[in-house]
Amino acid sequence: MPAPLEIAGKDLRQRLRDRSAIVIGLVAPLVIAALMSIAFKGADTFHYTLGVVDTDHGPVARALEHILHKAPLSQVLTVRDIPTRQSAANDVRSSHVQAALMIPAGFSASVDGAHPLPLSTLTSVNNQIAGNITASIASSFVAQLNANRLSVVTALDAGATDAQVAQLQSAVANLQIPEQMVQRPVGSHPLKVISYYGPAMAIFFLFFTISYTARSFFVDRSTGMIERMRAAPIRPVEILLGKVLSAFVFGLFSLGVIALVTTLVFGADWGAPIAAALVCVAMVIAVVCLTALVIGLARTQRQAEGIASAVVFGLALLGGNFVFISSLPDVMKRIALFTPNGQALRAFTDLSTTGGGLHAVMTPVVAILGFSLVVGFLACLLARRAVES
Amino acid sequence: MTMSMISARLRREDFLPPSQGPSSLGGPIMNPETVPMWTESPRAPVEQAAQGEENPERVEALLRCQDLRKKFAERTAVDGISFQLAPGEIYGLLGPNGAGKTTTIKMVCGLLRPDTGSIMLNGHSAVNELAARSMVGYVPQDVALYPDLTASENLAFLGRLYRLGGTLLQDRIAEALELTDLTDRRNDRVDSFSGGMKRRLNIAAGLLHHPKLLVLDEPTVGVDPQSRHAILERVQSLGRSGMSVLYTTHYMEEAERVCDRVGIIDQGRLIAEGTRRELVARLGERDRIDLSASGDLEELAAACRTVTGVVEAAAGNDCVHLIADDGRHVLPAVLEAVNRAGVSVSSVEVKEADLEAVFLHLTGTALRE
Repeated sequence: MPAPLEIAGKDLRQRLRDRSAIVIGLVAPLVIAALMSIAFKGADTFHYTLGVVDTDHGPVARALEHILHKAPLSQVLTVRDIPTRQSAANDVRSSHVQAALMIPAGFSASVDGAHPLPLSTLTSVNNQIAGNITASIASSFVAQLNANRLSVVTALDAGATDAQVAQLQSAVANLQIPEQMVQRPVGSHPLKVISYYGPAMAIFFLFFTISYTARSFFVDRSTGMIERMRAAPIRPVEILLGKVLSAFVFGLFSLGVIALVTTLVFGADWGAPIAAALVCVAMVIAVVCLTALVIGLARTQRQAEGIASAVVFGLALLGGNFVFISSLPDVMKRIALFTPNGQALRAFTDLSTTGGGLHAVMTPVVAILGFSLVVGFLACLLARRAVES
Repeated sequence: MTMSMISARLRREDFLPPSQGPSSLGGPIMNPETVPMWTESPRAPVEQAAQGEENPERVEALLRCQDLRKKFAERTAVDGISFQLAPGEIYGLLGPNGAGKTTTIKMVCGLLRPDTGSIMLNGHSAVNELAARSMVGYVPQDVALYPDLTASENLAFLGRLYRLGGTLLQDRIAEALELTDLTDRRNDRVDSFSGGMKRRLNIAAGLLHHPKLLVLDEPTVGVDPQSRHAILERVQSLGRSGMSVLYTTHYMEEAERVCDRVGIIDQGRLIAEGTRRELVARLGERDRIDLSASGDLEELAAACRTVTGVVEAAAGNDCVHLIADDGRHVLPAVLEAVNRAGVSVSSVEVKEADLEAVFLHLTGTALRE
């Protein structure tokens, strides 16, 4: 068997015996992805409970409640009747409902008068979105009422008969609120949180392979094992190749297991398997090149660990492993595209939301491989010195 | 004069047995693929008088180092060293720490590239050819093994790097473990081994591929006396089996015990070379006197140099080493010098000249400084 395979095989055997490597490579990413999935559960769809205090009980109040109970608002909110304003305030404060709508007594009657009574809302500071939506619904309803009132008054001024006014009132009663807010994903499917944080955490912990492999190299060097290998009839580059090959195999294994488990257990969508596998391979190649670069740059184990930590957390922060890229400022979004993990996350997001295949990931894959090429070239310039020194 | 104890022990035994076997360097080269490493054969004795002197009867040397030089920044580690090693010969590089021994053998093993000079190993350049490395078994000074792997896993990994595999590899592992008395620990992790066992396994790893040349870099440093004895026994056994051994040490006793020839190295230069007899003969009939003392040892050495018959005097660690024309004759005068210097001497030892005395004579300093 070629020497690089022997070295890689030995390294993998040692790594599989090392519990910390298993924890970092497999257990931690699964646990963190699951925790994030739980923490952000429901963040991809919005629904809240609206308390309604109807002290009017008139026809207009019933019409408003009817609108609240039927689609499309029923997809966004659930109505709970509350008897008094005080009860509503308590429920909002205790988060039993996220917002409340007060229909004052005499509201229906006031519609026919000169001074209609106002609708009011109660909003929790913990759920501003629910409060804003409730206020919007109330405003739209009042605007509709005012439009109706205006059309009737205009008809009467124009000399309409009672029969015509009744017909007009019936017609405007069927009008819908003119504006609606509908959430649509960019692609054909909404992005699940686990579909983002599954790959994000897998890639983040994949980065720890850099630190592990570089540390292993410098431990081997300090204990004389690199020297002992070099005394054998093999070339220095074969030693480095064996080291990074073990990082490649372990990284691919780690990503594969996490993809499988998050898909089967947590329902993550990594996209079309072949396209996702291509992104994983490209990402692991990038990590392997980064590993070789760290080995080339560092002169001691401590330096290697320091550089590796900077690389891991720098790339994870810039690439969007901790927060959705979409929620980052524009400048950060652009920077993320210069990182291999940012490109990989973009690829996995596209695969998950568009249902695309290989063509959907070609640009990110080429970008990741381009990054790898540059890093690999620098590593080649530096790493030989590390093996021979 | 304060003197808690004075003992004078005279030793006249010779450490090396007379040479046996053919007188040329062209002894048969054993096939490492087929000959068990403990099979004993007559050693190929080496007789070389002085550095650079060519023996017209010399046949092809296994290892030929010519004018090796190596600098690290401004420091010259090896400065023009040349030596040769015959098949089946045990050659010792003797010198203090930092003398250039390890740098020299790292160049022999292809781990360092010499700035100038050539290293030919059985006709191959050890500097440029990977093939030369398969003929060398390198045993580094520090134990270089994976503590989280078992003894046999370590040997299997290293054996495969030398292209061994299958049953041949398993046989070699069994053989190496047996030779180093570790067979019953083959499946134990190395981190459970004692220091001596690790040292023995370290040597076993260098023997797996039956090298023509075994390079041992101070293999007994930090080893308990029992393990040290065992290691030296193994090295002698390997030499008797026909394997060439390049052995570095700063222990004079080891060099005298195991080496056919010794090269004395100091400050990167080979200052003398030959058998123990040849080297000691340079001192004539002189003796070595060691004064174990405390106080200003430099002053004591200076005082001793004024004594008629004392040829060399150098302060070492808690000891002053003297070379005298006739040890027993000059001893009273030396003790007077000690008295004048006002230092406290705990013991005095008069010995026949040895390699340490040769080193002192050649360099003016003690070997173990």
